[in-house]
Amino acid sequence: MSRLLDAELTIQTMKLRQMGAKIKTINSKMCYVKFDISGFEVSYVYNINKNGNYFLERIKPYPLAIKEFYDEEQVIEIIKVDLEQFKNAIKSHNIQSFIDINRRLHQSIQKFEDLFLYYNVPLEECDKIISLLDALDQELKDTKNSSNRIYTKKEPDNL
Amino acid sequence: MFGNTQLIVAIAIFTLTYVIIVSEKVNRTAIAIFGAVLMLIFNIEMQEEAIMHVDFNTIGLLVGMMIIVNILKRTGIFEYVAIKAAKAAKGDPWKIVLIFSILTGVSSAFLDNVTTILLVVPVTIVIANALKLNPIPFLVPEVLIANIGGTATLIGDPPNIMIGSATGLGFNDFIVNLGPVVIVITGITMVILKMVYGKTLVADELNKRQILSMNEQLAIKDKTLLIKSLIVLGITIIGFMSHQSLGYESATIALFGAGLLLLLSKLDPEDILMEIEWPTIFFFMALFILVGALEDVGVIHFLAEKMLDLTHGDLFFTAMLILWVSAIASAFLDNIPFVATMIPLITSIGDLSSISITPLWWALALGACLGGNGTLVGASANVIVSGMLEKQGYKLSFVEYMKIGFPIMLVSVAVSTVYLWVRYL
Repeated sequence: MSRLLDAELTIQTMKLRQMGAKIKTINSKMCYVKFDISGFEVSYVYNINKNGNYFLERIKPYPLAIKEFYDEEQVIEIIKVDLEQFKNAIKSHNIQSFIDINRRLHQSIQKFEDLFLYYNVPLEECDKIISLLDALDQELKDTKNSSNRIYTKKEPDNL
Repeated sequence: MFGNTQLIVAIAIFTLTYVIIVSEKVNRTAIAIFGAVLMLIFNIEMQEEAIMHVDFNTIGLLVGMMIIVNILKRTGIFEYVAIKAAKAAKGDPWKIVLIFSILTGVSSAFLDNVTTILLVVPVTIVIANALKLNPIPFLVPEVLIANIGGTATLIGDPPNIMIGSATGLGFNDFIVNLGPVVIVITGITMVILKMVYGKTLVADELNKRQILSMNEQLAIKDKTLLIKSLIVLGITIIGFMSHQSLGYESATIALFGAGLLLLLSKLDPEDILMEIEWPTIFFFMALFILVGALEDVGVIHFLAEKMLDLTHGDLFFTAMLILWVSAIASAFLDNIPFVATMIPLITSIGDLSSISITPLWWALALGACLGGNGTLVGASANVIVSGMLEKQGYKLSFVEYMKIGFPIMLVSVAVSTVYLWVRYL
């Protein structure tokens, strides 16, 4: 099995090298972590290599970008906090709306990427999108100010 | 002396293990280890005796070569050579098949067939993709020639490693005795393959230009490591060529090369040793114990007597029987357990009769190695190619392969028959 995997990797890396890529292959272990919070799935994937680097990504209920860590305690702590926050969040009757909004935001990012990569977008259209994002940003701040804080063990990372 | 019960138990364990290995329903290493341990549990042999049956020369040679190849493949040499060869052929598909097959045959003579295929096939798939052609007409010739090329040397195919280790026949003995016939078989096979695939291999100019635009320099991952690896590989091959005159076992040469390259490469040995095919190594060790137990209870001696009765001690008839039975059996079964059983059998024939058994070793090597070309399950290399094609979305069916592989196997064994007859019998 690992021999076939190696061969498959050779095909991919040879094609990528011909495209000009520099590739470093590292032996590592990948772990899928799954929690069931009253029927609500929260799952993660993380990768450990022997240099002690950890690459953690949340995959459910919605994906969170991959982050690199240098200490297993950090990885466990991130998952612990994330899990506690989801345990709180699912008690809210807005949880489904929250997930739907998140999914739609994610879809909007993908649509924007297509727009950028497939079309020559006029500058005034870009300005329109920026002003819509500013409005959304302001709405998020206003919502934060008018909402009760439910998790206090840690400060928000982005808000 | 062994009692009847022990004899029956030993035969039962061996037969059951063999049948399960052949059925491929259970992992071959798992069942071989279990069978070997049962021989100890039922007191067919003691643990110390079992360990004595393990041929550490075969094991050392396999491990040593696996270490060297695992380091060598990290340099990108195979991708480099493939691109260079495809460009030299100016993107012409048949010329690429021809050059790649010859390269595969030569590599396979010095590296294990499966290893060669794992190194050559991925780069061939990339070239076939660039030409927008079905990779099957590229890969079938490569796997056939890999199995043929591996027949030529002591280190080319596991059956030869086992035969060499058990008999003391050295690297040069294999090249001198099997090399000529392998060259003839390779030539005939390429002519047949040209007739089968020649007309289907047509690429348009645009795709050929894509091959010419590839840069072989980009394939080299570590130039310093490449130089070190090629020097050590060269030393190792020279070592194999002179191991008998130097008085070293072939495993000593392979492990010397492996140790030296591990030291020079400065790579983490853990990374390299992790990629050793340990299941294959343990499969070999378990098989040696299983066959050794059978030998101890006298079964092999009994079979040798029966075979001599059948052939009346006639060298020609015995050699032909070994050649053709090995070839047909290897076309459908794993040739490693077959050869592991045949080795003590042929040794016993030598002990029981006055015939010179050296030609029988060549018959066994030719039959077991060339037989693997007969069907898709005949050799591990064939199974790997089929698996890799499937991953790429192409299906090489058992029948489709057999239509080409089986006739080529029959022609190869027929050529070997004439060769053995003319040269030794």
